[in-house]
Amino acid sequence: MQPQAAPLTANPDGNSPSVSPAAPAVLRFALSRLAYVGVTLLVVTGTLYALLMLAPPEARAALYVPPNVRIGLDPAIMDRRIEAIVREHHLRDPFPIQYGYWLWRLARGDWGWSPTLRTEVLGALAQRAPMTAELTLYSMLLIIPLGLLSGAWAGWQVDSQGDRAFRALAYLAASVPAFILGLILLSVFYVGLRWLPPGRTNAIDVIRIAGSSFRWVTGLLTVDGLLNGRPDITLDALRHLALPAISLSLTHVALVGRITRAAMSEENAKEYVIAARARGVPRRRVLWRHALRNAIAPALTSLSLSAAQLLTGVYIIEAVFNLPGVSSLLIRSLQQVPDLPLAVGFAVFSVLLVLPVMLGLDALLALIDPRLRASGGPDE
Amino acid sequence: MSSRRLFLSRLGNWLALALVTLFVVAALAGPRLLTPSVAQRDPFKKLPLPPGGEHPLGTVGGSDVWAGLVLGARDALRLGLTVTALTAVLGVALGAVSGYAGGLTNAVLMRLTDAFLAFPAVAAVWVIGYVLVASSQAGEPTSLTVLMIRLRLSPVMLALILFSWMPYARLINTTVTRLKREAYVEAARALGAGPERIILRHLLPNAIAPAVVQAARDIGSMVILATAFAFVGVSGESSQWGSLLLSGRDYVMGAAGNPLRYWWTYLPVSLALVLFGVARNLLGDGLNGALNPRQRY
Repeated sequence: MQPQAAPLTANPDGNSPSVSPAAPAVLRFALSRLAYVGVTLLVVTGTLYALLMLAPPEARAALYVPPNVRIGLDPAIMDRRIEAIVREHHLRDPFPIQYGYWLWRLARGDWGWSPTLRTEVLGALAQRAPMTAELTLYSMLLIIPLGLLSGAWAGWQVDSQGDRAFRALAYLAASVPAFILGLILLSVFYVGLRWLPPGRTNAIDVIRIAGSSFRWVTGLLTVDGLLNGRPDITLDALRHLALPAISLSLTHVALVGRITRAAMSEENAKEYVIAARARGVPRRRVLWRHALRNAIAPALTSLSLSAAQLLTGVYIIEAVFNLPGVSSLLIRSLQQVPDLPLAVGFAVFSVLLVLPVMLGLDALLALIDPRLRASGGPDE
Repeated sequence: MSSRRLFLSRLGNWLALALVTLFVVAALAGPRLLTPSVAQRDPFKKLPLPPGGEHPLGTVGGSDVWAGLVLGARDALRLGLTVTALTAVLGVALGAVSGYAGGLTNAVLMRLTDAFLAFPAVAAVWVIGYVLVASSQAGEPTSLTVLMIRLRLSPVMLALILFSWMPYARLINTTVTRLKREAYVEAARALGAGPERIILRHLLPNAIAPAVVQAARDIGSMVILATAFAFVGVSGESSQWGSLLLSGRDYVMGAAGNPLRYWWTYLPVSLALVLFGVARNLLGDGLNGALNPRQRY
């Protein structure tokens, strides 16, 4: 399936891989990933709009209702208004034209006005995005090193005691749903031991942050705390993030670990490992320098493929811990109230949150594995 | 059958079968285990009653925990089986046809499949719910609404089906692409077999095993996801467990200093879900070991 594009720039067995490949290969890799993101975005928003088109044009007019207009005043006036919206936004045209106009409007940053929140949809989403991004970021920082290292360590000594312990723990971790784990951690560490709190900040810090002296730079509380010279706020934010990040990552650590373990045990039997050992390279060095590099790809690829599930997990964990992230819109603005602009905005925004995670993982993979830089991306 | 013997030779698989049986029995016999009055929700008794008397596991938010558990198993299995069956059929069909066609068709369809992987199902639930309401209010029901009513699909279920078929397509596609060049397929074609016959009779039987394993795992995953959605507040109509857990959540936080004070409001449901997760993994791994003996994990 994958185009046989470029010759391999590195030794395929990873024995002392050349870290500086030709520049065009890197460029081609970056371009192919960007094209991939573009296609993904089009396909996914196209599907979403196709779903939307199952509703009649008059119902879809709700997407374009301007601020502070209430539907259902005088039926005659309302009908005329809706008809005007339907005409203006081409809601009776064929799919490609409608979709094009809709997408163009999104691209210009006009995501509509939410009647339940009484604000602009894009603003409401963007305001809550940093919390979600922060939780995702710190979970990834737990998942990738822990999963890779534990899996590599266990896979290097298959059927040893350590490996058996790893397998049992990974099994358990993969079986407990994240939100149940979150609930249990909450009951133990928050209610029982009173070590770690839910929410994003302490009540006192909320007041301090609301004050004018605190400048928002990135929106990430852990980073902005440091930038403002307030390590106490960073520390507090980390304390609040600990439980959610742990409950979110445990399942994924187990999955990444299991895949890495399998890949590692395969690498362990390969000839280059034996050759390196025969040359007198220490076992430990063969493990971390030679074999691990080759065993990383399947785990990171599977993580990148399940980035959407990861985001779903983030939303669920946000709800468990009462974090004011993007998903708080989903929960707060009651589902019974029809709010189409917010619903559609939420869906599109979620995809926009998934793509950077996928891209980041691909970039990481390309950094580690030079073969991918050459071939244009992880395909399988 | 050697794969059956392989499956039954492992202790973990027996445990998996026992757990599955437990859930199936609870689902089938469920309503008969309960007296009708217990299953009714009493909205005026808001405070959770401890276990005892006519409520063997106590109550939360006015509903009986035991009844919710048992009836929830019924919902869960129905949801898991329906969603997984439809998802698998969709994914397998797409993967097989695209793999058999090959060439540009396959490349395009597989790119589409990969693109779908970027869509979190939870994000679509709300839009689907709106579309359903809007199109049913518009008078004439669309074919989609009719289909959904026939199959008793909720927006959550439709979202899960639409956005979880991709692994099946990828799994089947890889195998079909490899198998279609084998001599026996060529022979079938030379004898005049059409594409449907080749796909259904010759390719799928040899390519289906990984998809079966995936389906065994998915029945559990879909239930857990749907429960999580209900817990988060995304249209909870199809998950008793989710709504039980949602009422229980307040009592985890509310019991100052002693998280076990209202244990019955959340521990039984949590335990049921953990067991569901364990059963899912045991069954999936067991089937994997029996059906794909060459694969290592």
